[in-house]
Amino acid sequence: MIRVTAMNRKRFVGDWAMLGTVFGLILFGLLMIYSASNYTARLHMGNAFYYVERQVFTVLLGTAAMLLMMKLDYHRLLKMALPLYGLSLFLLAAVFVVGTASHGQKRWIYIGSIGFQPSEFAKFVLIIFLASICGAAGSMMKKWKGILLVFLWMMPAAGMVMVTNLSTGIIIMGIAFIIIFTASRQWLPFFVLMGLGGGFMGVFLKLASYRVGRIEAWLNVETHPKGYQTRQSLYAIGSGGLFGRGYGKSIQKLAYIPEAHNDMIFSVICEEWGLLGAGIIAALFIFLIWRCLITANSASDIQGALLTMGVTAHLGLQMLINIAVVTNSIPNTGIPLPFISYGGTSLIFLMCEIGIVQNIAQQGKTYIS
Amino acid sequence: MHIKIYHRRKMLIVAAFIVGIGLVLMGRLAYLMIFRSAYYQSQADALHERERSIKAARGLIYDRNQRVLADNKSVCTISVIHNQIKEPEKVIRVLSEVLSLDEAKVRARVEKVSSIERIKANVDKTLGDKIREYKLDGVMVDEDYTRYYPYKTLASKVLGFTGGDNQGIIGLEVQYDAYLQGIEGTILTTTDARGIEVENTSEGRVEPIPGSDLYISLDYTIQSYVQQVAKRIMEQKEAKSVSVILMNPKNGEILAMTNEPEFNLNTPYLLPENAETDAIQDALNQMWRNGCLNDTYEPGSTFKIITSTAALESHAVSQNDRFYCPGYKIVDDRRIRCHKISGHGSESFVEGLMNSCNPVFIETGLRTGVQVMYQYFDRLGLMEKSGIDLPGEAGSIMHQIDNVGDVELATISFGQSFQITPIQMLRAVSAVINGGKLITPHLGVQIVDANGNMIRLHYNEKTHVIGSEVSDTMKTLLEKVVSEGTGKKSFIEGYRIGGKTATSQKLPRGSGKYIASFIGFAPADNPEIIGIVLIDEPTGAYYGGTVAAPVMREIFENVLPYYLGQWPDIESDSGDGNE
Repeated sequence: MIRVTAMNRKRFVGDWAMLGTVFGLILFGLLMIYSASNYTARLHMGNAFYYVERQVFTVLLGTAAMLLMMKLDYHRLLKMALPLYGLSLFLLAAVFVVGTASHGQKRWIYIGSIGFQPSEFAKFVLIIFLASICGAAGSMMKKWKGILLVFLWMMPAAGMVMVTNLSTGIIIMGIAFIIIFTASRQWLPFFVLMGLGGGFMGVFLKLASYRVGRIEAWLNVETHPKGYQTRQSLYAIGSGGLFGRGYGKSIQKLAYIPEAHNDMIFSVICEEWGLLGAGIIAALFIFLIWRCLITANSASDIQGALLTMGVTAHLGLQMLINIAVVTNSIPNTGIPLPFISYGGTSLIFLMCEIGIVQNIAQQGKTYIS
Repeated sequence: MHIKIYHRRKMLIVAAFIVGIGLVLMGRLAYLMIFRSAYYQSQADALHERERSIKAARGLIYDRNQRVLADNKSVCTISVIHNQIKEPEKVIRVLSEVLSLDEAKVRARVEKVSSIERIKANVDKTLGDKIREYKLDGVMVDEDYTRYYPYKTLASKVLGFTGGDNQGIIGLEVQYDAYLQGIEGTILTTTDARGIEVENTSEGRVEPIPGSDLYISLDYTIQSYVQQVAKRIMEQKEAKSVSVILMNPKNGEILAMTNEPEFNLNTPYLLPENAETDAIQDALNQMWRNGCLNDTYEPGSTFKIITSTAALESHAVSQNDRFYCPGYKIVDDRRIRCHKISGHGSESFVEGLMNSCNPVFIETGLRTGVQVMYQYFDRLGLMEKSGIDLPGEAGSIMHQIDNVGDVELATISFGQSFQITPIQMLRAVSAVINGGKLITPHLGVQIVDANGNMIRLHYNEKTHVIGSEVSDTMKTLLEKVVSEGTGKKSFIEGYRIGGKTATSQKLPRGSGKYIASFIGFAPADNPEIIGIVLIDEPTGAYYGGTVAAPVMREIFENVLPYYLGQWPDIESDSGDGNE
């Protein structure tokens, strides 16, 4: 390994391959949102481009935010970790008071006509917060106590999210787990935690009966009334075959799949582009994860690496859960497909995170083997 | 703080973990999209595709001269699709004008928010075409067939009619339903989740297969004439009903079958004015009932043909055996009267048949014995249904052979105390006069499918059920019945007619209700046509010889030249005799 000099570092402005992949996914997402939503949008909104237009606006906003994050030294962001965490806790608490319900759960705060999901903000903040404290904890991370303390620090946020949105809560726990796991030298506590987490999940599912109904729907997807959405998704995926029906030719998007442009968009991709197209999308995600891994490895310090791993965990877990849901590999839960699904808050913070990773890459050392 | 080796190792593990699960999921995706593809595709298609069925044209029914007796008429169903209508006012105006419907009613349907609303069904095709010419958005004109019977009441109980789903309800329409129906076609359209058809998706279309045509042995000309006569007689005699069957005795082809009153096949649910309305279904069933085969009766003296055949062939009696009729005969402790109270006196067997003398036949029956009698009933098909290709045929009601004592045998011998259907009677007599061949009476001759493939229908025949000598004898005797005996009134100069009269008391006895009947055939030496006339509950004269024989004569007089293709052997102004 040869360290690149500071002079070289200045010329290196980021990871173009990663940026290219992200924008490729976003543009493809716009195409697919149009395809998936134009029929129902014309029907319900009177404008076939309704969702695409809104998403284009989000992408522009997200790009601006991302550029800002690329310019901002991530170390300054790390220093703001505690106040940001405070703000996030405040917003999460506020959602209980002034939140607006969507699909039966209070998850949104509306300022005028613009909606905002505090849980998405919490994901973003927790990555920074955990990277910050784990980086600072240093040798404490070797000890059980240190690991537990870090978990305890994030529990208020994770807990509040989990009350209204189990799957986002699980993703937050997953991100935290990965950051702390990476930061610590220990192995055993994490196996114990995994065991505990599994047990906790089991108990939670047993207690929350509506989720057990969801599990029954998962096991009997062909017949259970609650399995409708997943069933439609499977019909779409199966109809795709190897090469798909072709762009715009999905039939399942004709209101069979509810809000096909949202969490279920991957099934429309499968229907229109076939296994080939779905494979390419999956390959792009894997490529993105690989680029993140390289950035983490080349980060100038452990905080940078942990931040990058947090972002990797965020988009990786969401991608896995989303695809697992549409293929009925796990019970149905609403997680958007990163960069592709329609949705404002999620996309903007994901782009912010990519911006941070770009900043880390700019400051990091590249390796030439 | 710097990144340590264990950090790098753990980062690699995390990335590998994510990629690993990602690959597993891709494996699952590949499984779904390759191996389960066909299954999900078919499930999805079943969900997306709406099948609209296209009715298959029902096969036609032709008479023996290719005249269409049951036809299809094109009609249209007019409906509107609310969210496709662009000019509601024009739609309302055009539809109410063309269909001559109340504007308010049309308006209500047009303005109703529903996926599809039917405006009017069974609209004449010309009106449907007219509406189509306006090219109105949201107005659908669906063409359809409806069954149409051009001759309305002609052979209504034989032909039958169909219901709304193109299914036969009675008659031949039921019997040959499977052939006539054809196979419905389908139009496959893709719809969205609300069931609305999506434009620009390929439409799969499976063409319907029209039903096969049925050719029957009925002759329109004979049938309409017979029906006309039957109707007139029913009115003249104020009878409950009049049934006539004409059949070719050699092969069982039915040329005409009527059971007046008939009904209009185009309005089969319209009851006659005097019908009871409190039990509509019963009244309808009564109206649709074909007495020729759905009802049984006591055949009476026509049955003496059967008794004679059994007796002569078993040599229980011979033609010249002498009998004495004092006007009654005592069997066991019963005194059974002859219709001639003063008695026929001394007479031969032949004279007994010509006089239709009951004591002669009681004696004949008793001499023949119950075993032989029943053996001949069996041979002549009286113990089974005739097998006619019409639904709902009734079976015979006979004494159990073990329960037949002398009194029963005596009454059976002249056609009382048991019941059979007119078609069974006609079949049995056909076997007697056609040289001993038991045929199956039938109407269906052949079935021709839409591609012109023909199926000839075959029916059971049993030969040699009686010997030809006895058959010849019976023909001679029955000709004598007409030329010199009780059947005189069916005699037509220039034709050789054979036949037998009957006057059956209806049960309960003493009710004063009768069935006057006559079975006749021609030419007597080589019968080409056999017929039965039954007049149910005539008022006034009720003797078969007086009432039914002249009807048969009138029918034969007009039908024979047409059917046999030859005029009477001698010049005569037949047709207006003074009887």
